[in-house]
Amino acid sequence: MKTIISLMVNGEQVEAAVEPNKTLVQFLREDLGLTGTKHGCGLGDCGACTVIMDGKPVNSCLVLAVQAHGREVLTIEGLAENGKLHPIQQAFVDKGAIQCGFCTPGMILSAKALLAENPQPTEQEIRTAISGNLCRCTGYQKIVEAIQEAAKSIEGTEV
Amino acid sequence: MLLPKFEYHEPSTLEEALQLLSSLGGNAKVLAGGTDLLVRMKQRIDKPAHVISIARVPGLDAIIPRNGHGVTIGSAVTARELSRHELIIDRFTPLAIAASRLGAPMIRNRATIGGNLVNARPAADLPPACMVLNATVKLKSAKGERDVSVNEFFRGPGDCVIEPHELMVCLNIETPAPWSGGSYIKLGARKTLEISMVNVATLLTLEGPDGPIIDARIALGAVAPTPLRAFGAEEFLIGNKPSEELFQRAGEIGVGFCSPITDHRGTMEYRCMMIEALTKRCLMRAWENARAWKP
Repeated sequence: MKTIISLMVNGEQVEAAVEPNKTLVQFLREDLGLTGTKHGCGLGDCGACTVIMDGKPVNSCLVLAVQAHGREVLTIEGLAENGKLHPIQQAFVDKGAIQCGFCTPGMILSAKALLAENPQPTEQEIRTAISGNLCRCTGYQKIVEAIQEAAKSIEGTEV
Repeated sequence: MLLPKFEYHEPSTLEEALQLLSSLGGNAKVLAGGTDLLVRMKQRIDKPAHVISIARVPGLDAIIPRNGHGVTIGSAVTARELSRHELIIDRFTPLAIAASRLGAPMIRNRATIGGNLVNARPAADLPPACMVLNATVKLKSAKGERDVSVNEFFRGPGDCVIEPHELMVCLNIETPAPWSGGSYIKLGARKTLEISMVNVATLLTLEGPDGPIIDARIALGAVAPTPLRAFGAEEFLIGNKPSEELFQRAGEIGVGFCSPITDHRGTMEYRCMMIEALTKRCLMRAWENARAWKP
């Protein structure tokens, strides 16, 4: 039996009827067409499906869409403002932190959640924050550098 | 991977949740963080006809200090909350460290203490920490409630004493005595998203900063069908002055309580060597924390 859910996705109120066995990643991709969130392993191991729910990064493959009722969800599509990339996205471009790109949305959202609570993380803290996001191109070094760069540029704009 | 079909229930009170469990019992699974249950359902290991989410039952996600005597931890408290909560870090250290080593950040944001205990995996992170803290769990059903020591909670891999109509609502833990300190060490091939090859939790209580050991607790995970307490090694420590040599001997005794298996994570021989080494190391850390105890 379908359930009506209502949630905020990237700042917009969304209402839909969903089957209980539909995961949040399926709902975002199939019902809302937000295909920036990737469906990887489906088991919480790879982090490709990372979204930010109520301020915390979660594996959207292990959250039911019905569980997101009343919550706030941020996906990679919600980062850019007025056509301008978010500083973390820009840093990933500038630092060459994107290879095949499949892990990138998850990496960027994990980085976003980290920088929101810890604007000046150490390298170790960055590595811990993205430790649930696998990059099979193994471009971790560039990703870490991009997050360091993003931290600097966000700090620069706020001062 | 897709989930099989099931009927979803989202009770908004504890009474409603217990009623559902009492009527659906064996056909239902409780959904807390979902980091184990949804994986098992996708793999078709669990095929419940009904799923009861406890996310909207009020109060299950609270950490409530009890006037310095102890703490009540709701069963839906996440690993993230445990690893960052000042009181847990300060007084119930093994639990905070174990929670910080569970899974990866996204998993810790969802995984709950209740789920980690009820799943009863031999290598789980939180059980050994709860065991050295002598935690008791409160199990409620529509008909009544009972308190069970975590030390008597596990029966085998994936098996514990909870009945299908029962819900774990909270854990109660007494604050360890003055001059207590504890720690937790997890050994794996990598630092994150790892299932322990061996894990150890310890708690030591000293008579004073330089005094002898008046209480000692050691729990080991991934070394037997259930996590276990190395009671013999604990008794050996009590009454003695702490030292590296003493802890080495306790580790050697501790190995005798274990029956590790050989699997793709490590061999039985290697696990035995690591039980010895990590017990000693974890006791050293507990000693350090006990000496640094502050009122």
